Amino acid sequence: MLNLLHIEYKKLIPYSTFWMIFGLFFFFTPIVFYGAGQIKIEGFPIDFTTMYNFPNIWNNITYIASWFNLLMGMLIVILVCNEFSFKTCRQHIIDGHSKADFIVSKILLMTSFALICTVYLFITGSLFGFISGGNGSFTAQINYLLVYFIQALGYMSVGLIIAVLIRSSALSIIMFLFSILAETIIRTLVPDFIGQYFPMKIISNLTPVPTPEGMITEQMRNTIMQEEMWLNTTLLIAIIYILAFWRVAYFILTKKDIK
Amino acid sequence: MNTILNINGISKSYGKVKALNNLSLKINKGEIYGILGPNGSGKTTTLGIILNVLNSDSGSFEWYGEPPSKYSRKKIGSLLETPNFYPYLSARQNLSIVCKIKEVSEKEVDRVLSTVGLINRANSKFETYSLGMKQRLAIASVLMGDPEVLVLDEPTNGLDPLGISEIRTIILDLATEGKTIIMASHILDEVEKTCSHVAVLKMGNLLTFGPIQTVLNNQEQLFVSSDNLDLLKLTLSQIDGISGINQVSNKVYLMLAEGKTSAYLNKALFDKGIIVSEIGVHKSNLESNFLELIK
Repeated sequence: MLNLLHIEYKKLIPYSTFWMIFGLFFFFTPIVFYGAGQIKIEGFPIDFTTMYNFPNIWNNITYIASWFNLLMGMLIVILVCNEFSFKTCRQHIIDGHSKADFIVSKILLMTSFALICTVYLFITGSLFGFISGGNGSFTAQINYLLVYFIQALGYMSVGLIIAVLIRSSALSIIMFLFSILAETIIRTLVPDFIGQYFPMKIISNLTPVPTPEGMITEQMRNTIMQEEMWLNTTLLIAIIYILAFWRVAYFILTKKDIK
Repeated sequence: MNTILNINGISKSYGKVKALNNLSLKINKGEIYGILGPNGSGKTTTLGIILNVLNSDSGSFEWYGEPPSKYSRKKIGSLLETPNFYPYLSARQNLSIVCKIKEVSEKEVDRVLSTVGLINRANSKFETYSLGMKQRLAIASVLMGDPEVLVLDEPTNGLDPLGISEIRTIILDLATEGKTIIMASHILDEVEKTCSHVAVLKMGNLLTFGPIQTVLNNQEQLFVSSDNLDLLKLTLSQIDGISGINQVSNKVYLMLAEGKTSAYLNKALFDKGIIVSEIGVHKSNLESNFLELIK
């Protein structure tokens, strides 16, 4: 297993696209997060800098970072499609990997990416939290980081399945973005109680839109409680989707010729 | 176990096109097996199936008497169609990945790069390589871990004449070490110079197979010429042990029965009053036999 991950990083370290995408993530997440706290809306007496305070910060920063998860999904699409356009997937199998090894390599890679992003958010969030000096609980909502981890894995798994199916980089990226749009359109055509279980909806719901602290009324607290319970269900469904995506990606790979 | 590869009735279609039709073949240890056929005859499809990148519609195959697995492939050095490497990695980085996959020592990288004459360019990116250098790198990758079995698809593709002869020498050296080599080619000359056995494919069908001398009946062809070609042909047809008389421009080509030489032919013609202006050995008739086979 570690050998497979080692091979993946041997390919990645000299690859500039990999550094560029991670660079964007590392650079822009804290900047956008900082910027969001500086928003002032006229006649709206809310101090957005409270979003840096523990424990809400975990919901807030993972929500901001979730926008960059699309980038991670695209990175996986590019990396997997490369294996087909360079014909290195074919060569690796000829040289002595199994098709399962190919999928497992990518799963390990995605997991490591998700882990890196989560650890980075943990560090960034801690810094923001301690600097802002709020006295809320550090750990109370830290579970949002786990949820974020699963979301990152979710977007990347969608990327994997599209890349394995389509194999061409440009077309796969278009399909990756289009699948989100297409799902939104389809969702409007089906009843809500079905639509809410669609994969992209489930995955994007993992990082719910935070409510600024000053806006929370007693009535809203109830809804928030319900939302948090719903989050656990969402998490479970997301994990099931992700496992299913991996299984289907493997199935596609075994059924199609590798040219 | 003497059988290296055993193919049992594999078939493969691409849509309506039957690329491979019920192919069975057995390759033993130490054989240099040439798979010969025109473009589109199913050579690469066959190799793709036995290396698990193409799925056959039916049939089965065994490596070393066992069902195919990644472990058997690790012990086979394979080059299929094009050299496949990461363009942004150097030759050394690319081969280092192959090392990890094949689970062989990193020391192999420098050894194989020296063998194919690329050691001086080991740190250049693959994308900067010429076609011939890419092909050499692919051969280097095949040699990784000194495998007992090699599968080569058009190994001299894209190489200059010097490169072709160098690669041929490498292959022949490996052959004398007792390795088993399976080689697909449409270049008859290549197969003739390196292979001990041959299988001839045409449109997915196995036409014939066996030791190369038997299959292609590698008999010498002679040519003679004289002032009166019609008389020459008539006379030739009356001489014992001559077959395949065939006139091309001002020469008459023929084959002699075993044990007969050009001296015999010359004497026989002289005895019948024909003065030969030219007589000689034509190149082997392997090519004409091959063309006859795939007609």
